[in-house]
Amino acid sequence: MDEDLIAKKDVLEQTGISYGQLYRWKRKGLIPEAWFIRKATVTGQETFFPRDKILTRIEQIRSLKEEQSLDELVQILAPEASPECVQHDNPAALAPIGAEGRKLLWKERGYTFGELVALACGAQAMRSGTRPTEAKLLVDLVRAEEAAVRSSTGMTALLAEKALDQEGISVRLTLGVLGHEPLKLDRESRIKHRVDLEQITEQVKLALREVA
Amino acid sequence: MESQSVSISGSGRVSGGEYTQVRISGSGRVEGDVIAQEIRVSGSARFQGTVKAKEITVSGSGKFTSRVEADILVTSGSCGIEGDAVVKELRSSGAQRIGGSLRSHYVRVSGVLNVACDLETDGFTSSGRFEIGGLLSADRVEVKLVGDSRAREIGGENIDIRASSGFNFGISLSRGLRFGVGIGTLTVGEIEGDHIHLEATTADVVRGKIVHIGPGCRIGRVEYTESLEVHPEAEVREKTKR
Repeated sequence: MDEDLIAKKDVLEQTGISYGQLYRWKRKGLIPEAWFIRKATVTGQETFFPRDKILTRIEQIRSLKEEQSLDELVQILAPEASPECVQHDNPAALAPIGAEGRKLLWKERGYTFGELVALACGAQAMRSGTRPTEAKLLVDLVRAEEAAVRSSTGMTALLAEKALDQEGISVRLTLGVLGHEPLKLDRESRIKHRVDLEQITEQVKLALREVA
Repeated sequence: MESQSVSISGSGRVSGGEYTQVRISGSGRVEGDVIAQEIRVSGSARFQGTVKAKEITVSGSGKFTSRVEADILVTSGSCGIEGDAVVKELRSSGAQRIGGSLRSHYVRVSGVLNVACDLETDGFTSSGRFEIGGLLSADRVEVKLVGDSRAREIGGENIDIRASSGFNFGISLSRGLRFGVGIGTLTVGEIEGDHIHLEATTADVVRGKIVHIGPGCRIGRVEYTESLEVHPEAEVREKTKR
């Protein structure tokens, strides 16, 4: 995973936040430990962040900070503080799931938080052109590993595809993979869709908040 | 059911459980996880299991082999925690050692504090000696140097490191350091903060907004965004304004 990185001082410069804020947010768990990447540079050790993630997160903290206390923000943004007791009856009403997700539902009501995240993974895959049967694989995979939704960072769910040719018969297999980056697949497998679980968890959390 | 209290004043062992008060004034051993309102050790105690308490006072010798959670922990004797500690307020005038990391709101050191991993707190005040194996992160870091302290990294909003007043009595700080006259020092890899005031500090890199490098400092590189002042008795090899 060759993510685009940004140096800490450039983050401060671009966003205008202070060291005090950055360290405070880290202490509160608003910026996950795993995002702090230490690297040797010509001028010694420096800290880098995944560019998109850190910039989005700072933007979110800032826009939400107006109305919420830092501790409430932790509840909303930190992955390990996912709401335990959500019972949602109409997943399609949540933006990350939406109308696409309707095809993936498996019960009338009472979706838990983990199940909503699983649905959002499937819906995202469908929006990028995956067939419902394959998207279901992803949903089942994430559903079965609900703990992954609460585990801090770096979890990814993939749909991979592999073609087998033997004696004139060609078969395409789709498989779901869940794990920490960097995930490695053999050369003959192709990644059809990749879901950053952390990102999607966050989207579901924010959507739930909007509904509430 | 009302929970009970337990007291060991000779030599003894108790099993874990829920207690109102645990007092050990002789030599005691607690086997298993403990939840208590108050734990007082004035003798020698060993806790085998996790400990959750409102208040822990160690004036003798206390050893915790696992995780400790408390609202307040006061050490005036010797206290060793082998796991992580989550303590809202820590006051150590004795010797406090933590084998994991420490999360807190307020830490005050007047004795010795040793944390193997990170120390994260809102306020950190020291007039003693400390050694932090990882990152010391706080909104306010206020240090009066006594003896030699160390940290791998310090980060926060206000960082204020002052040399002990000894060098005011006729002897300059840098000379005092050179001759090893009992003056405290701080050695850090990296310091980052918005307002930084340093004295008698050796650091590879200092990054900040408003930076003051006082007497007795030896800094590899300073990166600042607003202002930098360097005392004549300080050595800064490289300065960059961003």
